[in-house]
Amino acid sequence: MPEDPQGRFAAAVLPHLDAAYNLARWLVRDAQDVVQDALVRALRHFDGFRGGDPRPWLLAIVRNAAFAWLGARRPGETQVPDDELDAALAVDAPPSDPEALAIRRAERREIDAAIAALPLAFREAVVLRELEELSYRDIARITDVPIGTVMSRLSRARHLLALALRPGATRSPT
Amino acid sequence: MNDDDLWLDALLDDELDAAASLALQRRLAAEPVLQRRFEERRALRDVLRGQATRHAAPDALRANLAALLAPGAGANVARERASARRRAALPWAAGLGGALLATLCTLAVVDPAALVWQRGDAGGAQLEAEASEAVSAHTRALLVDQPIEVASSDQHTVRPWLSARLNFVPPVVDLAAQGFPLVGARRDVLSGETAAALVYRHGAHVISVFVRPVDPGSVPGPQATRVVRGFNVIERTQGGLAFCFVSDANPHELQALVDLVTPLAGRQAPAP
Repeated sequence: MPEDPQGRFAAAVLPHLDAAYNLARWLVRDAQDVVQDALVRALRHFDGFRGGDPRPWLLAIVRNAAFAWLGARRPGETQVPDDELDAALAVDAPPSDPEALAIRRAERREIDAAIAALPLAFREAVVLRELEELSYRDIARITDVPIGTVMSRLSRARHLLALALRPGATRSPT
Repeated sequence: MNDDDLWLDALLDDELDAAASLALQRRLAAEPVLQRRFEERRALRDVLRGQATRHAAPDALRANLAALLAPGAGANVARERASARRRAALPWAAGLGGALLATLCTLAVVDPAALVWQRGDAGGAQLEAEASEAVSAHTRALLVDQPIEVASSDQHTVRPWLSARLNFVPPVVDLAAQGFPLVGARRDVLSGETAAALVYRHGAHVISVFVRPVDPGSVPGPQATRVVRGFNVIERTQGGLAFCFVSDANPHELQALVDLVTPLAGRQAPAP
């Protein structure tokens, strides 16, 4: 058993620093501050970490720090109920013609822009699933919602991304 | 949005149990439109995973994390405590100056004169401090994400690179067949002396092997195994070289590498 908490903390957290930064960077502008804040909190509460996979544990702290940052600056954004998101976005049924949903070849810039344009709740689900490849269970833990909500957010997010990246979609301004 | 999409996504994400997965796959086989939508979902996923930016932690953040962990860290405390005890045990050493003291106290020193006081009260703590320094070097290398200066699995590349920069030649061998691929090497400084640091990989673990020359007439010491700040450390002296293995790999795996590498010390290198 490693003897000092700092060493155990470093061993648990170091391998996930990129994931922590990536998540923060997709959620807020000032990602470095947010991750630093999260690391300080994580170190302080490391006693509460009872083994297991440190990645979802750390990402949950990073996610909370990001939401605290956003909450202080743009209070509206972190509190939108999912059904309102649907209404606001007019997420409609998929087109009957499957060809219309074909994904066209897209550049990294356009893909990044499409993800960045997603509402916060959808964006974090997509980043955790597609970029960090976490399970529904871990995403539910990190974002503090039931698994069913994770599923519907992911599905909606993917639908929006497919629309944004389909052939003939208006290219996002750069 | 419809419910089919939820199911397709769950299948894509490998979240369905065997029965549900089988049932959905039967439907996919029977319904081309559904199959087509599944393919599009998969194409979207591949595009996202392949193309979307994964932001890597900037070096400044890694440096700040190192700073967060450094002050008051167990290593420093242990080192100070050890050096205090060393001074008490060796009043004459206090006057020798930091550099010489550091040289005397390098890891796994087995100079017979040194053995005498290493066995004393101060010995354990002092060796502990040296192991701690090796762990710091290992962690630093991981932090900056550049554990190697010469990246090669080819011993005929790494060995000449090291021998051109050091006044001794450590054994360099790729052990990929035994599960320890050689990743490369770097120079590092331990207790004020230049050491070779060979970097191996074992599964997801990075292993640093620090090697320094010791007095060729010295008696090989017993192997020392310890845990320092979550890292396993094994020290062994053989063939005029002091080895220090550091990794978060488990002790048995680390020991396997020790048993592969240290017997090569002092042997004539195979002709390139």
